[in-house]
Amino acid sequence: MSGQGGMLAPEEENDAEVRLGDQENINKFGRLNARLYEVRGERDDLKKKLERIDDASTELMMGSGDRVMLLLGDAFFECTEEEATEHCEAEVERFQSTVDELEEEEGRILTEQEELKKLLYARFGKSINLEDK
Amino acid sequence: MSSPDEAVVTTDTQGGDDRDVNALAEEADNTSLSMESITDGKNERGIPVVKFIEDISAFADLFTPEASAELLIGAFSDLFSKFKAYEQNLSQKRQTFQEKIPEIEKSLALVSHLKKKKEKGESVVTRYNLADTIYTKAELDCNAGIVNLWLGANVMLEYTYDEAIELLSSKLENAKKEYEETTKDLAFTRNQIITAEVNISRIYNWDIRKKRASNS
Repeated sequence: MSGQGGMLAPEEENDAEVRLGDQENINKFGRLNARLYEVRGERDDLKKKLERIDDASTELMMGSGDRVMLLLGDAFFECTEEEATEHCEAEVERFQSTVDELEEEEGRILTEQEELKKLLYARFGKSINLEDK
Repeated sequence: MSSPDEAVVTTDTQGGDDRDVNALAEEADNTSLSMESITDGKNERGIPVVKFIEDISAFADLFTPEASAELLIGAFSDLFSKFKAYEQNLSQKRQTFQEKIPEIEKSLALVSHLKKKKEKGESVVTRYNLADTIYTKAELDCNAGIVNLWLGANVMLEYTYDEAIELLSSKLENAKKEYEETTKDLAFTRNQIITAEVNISRIYNWDIRKKRASNS
């Protein structure tokens, strides 16, 4: 949104003055965009974690014997298969609900951005660029 | 629109952009344009608010002598760079919190786990990091109910499980609160950056139109 896209031909120029309301819409769009990237980053991180726990649970199920090492903090604790499985399931639930929240937020942000895009393109036409590179 | 004073300073009104650096410096010394004129005070967190300019010509006229586009753009660019630097700073701070918070959560989970074991009356066998590449086995008797926590600055203090959980929980809460504050500050700063950028483009466009009008 900052200064890309070269010069417009005279007939493409838009004479609409930027009013305070427009400035606020532009700011809002920028804020939403920044938040969108964060949300997506967090969600991808959590998805990776979920994958790893999934692999761990599978290993657990196939595993033999009773003593399993569970990583808590920086140390390993010996525990039974059930305890480890319980722990994994609790973590999966936690992560999954956060992922769901993040995806909801992403949807909301995209909808709001569509609204703002309509408003701003109507006001400024080609004088403004609101697309992702 | 140009006052007699401006004619003294400008050497060439046609190619405004290739004016002398000296002419610009002279204008900067003589003008009444200052940081206060382009900011609207500060928000409640002490961050300056960039002034949104409704009418550029009217704004330029407010100063004696009337401010040129270059001077205005210069002033806003300065403000813009300051905000960018502050944004970097805030981003760093936020990054630090994003690392610290999981650390505290891990410690909290660990102590809670020990407490649970104590309540069940079980002992814990653990492998802990003795040195970089070596883990060693240890058996913990949870009945003592004591943990030692690093408080930083080479200080370690003994706590009961409950005290430790309380301390870690409050540390976690504080960290999360400060993380929220930093995030809000960051959003606000970004707003100011965008406003400054838009101001700069508008002043530039205004200047071009003015020159075009005076040339035709």
